[in-house]
Amino acid sequence: MAKGNGTLVHNFKLLANHQLDGFGGMGEGMSIQIAPDGRRILWLAHESAPKNFTGVDVTDPKNPKVVVQTNLPTSHMRSNSLEVSGNIMAVAYQTQKQGQKPAGMELFDISKPENPKSIAFFDRSGPHSRGVHVLWFHDGEYVHMAAGAPDFEAGHELDDQCYQIIDVKNPSKPTEVGRWWMPGTKKGETPIKRHEKPALDKGFRAHNTNVYPSHPDRCYLAYLDGGMLIMDIKDKANPKPISRWDNSPPYTGFTHTMIPMFKRGLAIVADESTVDGGKDWPKLVWILDIRDEKNPIPIATCPPPAFDEFAHRGGRFGAHNMHENLELPTSFHSEDIIFCTYFGGGLVAYDISNPYRPETVGTFIPPAPNGSKIGAIQINDCFVDERRIVYCVDRFTGGLYILEPTF
Amino acid sequence: MSNLLTRTFDAGDHRPFGRRLRSPRGARVPLVVVTGFLGAGKTTLIRDLLRQPEGADTLVIVNEFGEVGIDDALLKTGGDATVLMGNGCLCCTLRSDLQKTLVEVLAERARGELPPFQQIILETSGLADPVPILQTLTADRGLASQIHLQAVVTVIDAVLGSRTLEEAPEARRQVAVADRLILTKVDLAGVEAARNFEAELLALNPSAKIVRAENGKVSPQTILADNAQLTEPVYPPRERAHHAADVESFALRFDKPLDWIAVEQSLELLARLRGHDILRAKGLLDIKGCKGPVVVHQVQHLTAKPVELESWPSGERSSRLVFITRNIARRDIETLLDIAIRLAGEANVPMSEPATDGSND
Repeated sequence: MAKGNGTLVHNFKLLANHQLDGFGGMGEGMSIQIAPDGRRILWLAHESAPKNFTGVDVTDPKNPKVVVQTNLPTSHMRSNSLEVSGNIMAVAYQTQKQGQKPAGMELFDISKPENPKSIAFFDRSGPHSRGVHVLWFHDGEYVHMAAGAPDFEAGHELDDQCYQIIDVKNPSKPTEVGRWWMPGTKKGETPIKRHEKPALDKGFRAHNTNVYPSHPDRCYLAYLDGGMLIMDIKDKANPKPISRWDNSPPYTGFTHTMIPMFKRGLAIVADESTVDGGKDWPKLVWILDIRDEKNPIPIATCPPPAFDEFAHRGGRFGAHNMHENLELPTSFHSEDIIFCTYFGGGLVAYDISNPYRPETVGTFIPPAPNGSKIGAIQINDCFVDERRIVYCVDRFTGGLYILEPTF
Repeated sequence: MSNLLTRTFDAGDHRPFGRRLRSPRGARVPLVVVTGFLGAGKTTLIRDLLRQPEGADTLVIVNEFGEVGIDDALLKTGGDATVLMGNGCLCCTLRSDLQKTLVEVLAERARGELPPFQQIILETSGLADPVPILQTLTADRGLASQIHLQAVVTVIDAVLGSRTLEEAPEARRQVAVADRLILTKVDLAGVEAARNFEAELLALNPSAKIVRAENGKVSPQTILADNAQLTEPVYPPRERAHHAADVESFALRFDKPLDWIAVEQSLELLARLRGHDILRAKGLLDIKGCKGPVVVHQVQHLTAKPVELESWPSGERSSRLVFITRNIARRDIETLLDIAIRLAGEANVPMSEPATDGSND
């Protein structure tokens, strides 16, 4: 029997791999800009210091070129997330420990991609804050983010990032217009019931804060150990939960992203694996029926890559980021096909035409990248553009992989 | 057709055949059946293909292994049915039946136990009738959802071919159901003889593309490309071959959009009454209410799940349906379809789902 070699590539053609000049450890911020001169620039957040962000010209997806790569001012911070709207880019800054600086969000003018110019720094540092972990900037008007704040103190240190809405209509003066935290997580409130096994208590804090321009009154909010929530944000000063779905226990929390499929009344929800070797398995991608948004119902999970083969090769194994179906001309948009990342399980595309029975239609699990210390790929995030070119990144060394789906 | 449950989550646009696909294969693994007469040179062609970049990551399944002799340099023999070949290709000896072998290799690939092959070539024995193989791929819905019959490629020897056609019914069926015919040993047969033989072949299968091999080689796409008839013009009917009275092949065209009900019911009726005599029916249909063409494929009494494509190849929007039949006249099928289309048109049948059982409860 010919044994597998730890790779599985099916229905994806690799067009290019760029290790980003030796700094190929990438975070969960990927966004496309069509620059004023017509070039297509893919902006990428780095997983950790020393690099801040990298802009890659992907006009020709077979020949990506780094146009700019910037540094962070200190090694105790990371810019794990970024988003582009027009020629403005928002970058999230998070520190290792509470109380450290700088922590917050920075807006850049990227009209000239080679030379991003800072427009504003929105400070979120504070004695009990690590700043911003993830942000969402889609409509050019508001940044939605998972962040600490100078005046926010959680009852438990793991609950230190809540949901915040920042008005950036005047990008030089970002202003907080609303925030919401899960009741029981702010200091002084009756504490929320935590996950019982300490190793699985990962925190009740905000993660992805997806708001789509076609439905500006809704935020699809993932809240890690708190599951996911559909939020009414018509009154941005006073976000209100409409419903909440939480799979844990018996699952192991860390709900990471929720993507609505408005036409079909469906939502895709992913948990994140945060423990190496698949020890927090199963971390899944779930399909929910949200035709009644007050009553989300799980109807299926997506078949993950083979655990026995890929979970023990090094690093994490389980769901993480997905392509988020942005309502932008530069984003692939589908309510039939979804793209999900699984760390050591690579990138998987599913056909969810029948949402009760999602089918794998493509898999990309490449070999461990050059220079990998853990010995396996760790696909961390993905983005698909309107040309159906798929971009995905490795968490440690592999940098950017550009793929063409063939299904 | 989509069922009631999936329609619950309808996106609002009319898609009776489910997700529109970019190509007929969708996400399925392409499988090419390479068939042909004994000694026609199938193995040589396949071996050459495996050396090309296009031949990488190919799983080759050979039935009656050993008979045609893939050489040892290419084939590392192992204790099991699947072995790794020189350039990353796999070779499978068809010891068990085809269904079981395909299910196993797909499962092993998903588990990472087999290298991730991207395509399958099934080399049949020279004596094999390809129709049961096509039936297997059509009948097993589990398999059909994972494997796409990309093409049937038949390799024929220009020297002995005419005599083989005369003597062997399997050979005639190999030619009749082929999407592409590869002619070998043209240099030995001579150009004139080859041309005459090609006319014979076209009479037997007017919709197939004929390619002459040069030094036992053809371009990789000659073997690997998707079902040729979908994108190429339908050939006009030709004179019937004198030795192929039992097999007829013809193409029907329809310029106006068709009602799916009419097409489905006609094909079903044909399958019920004369399924045994429909060797193959295949085509692209312009169905009322559908944006892209609908791909249909029938093998004897079995119909593959129809799929809708995103767009028409080369922009030509008209239905074309190729039939390969035994003892059924073209006019009979034409008449059946005409009547069904006319009746459906008069009834103005809406596109609807097939009835489900239990509706009376």
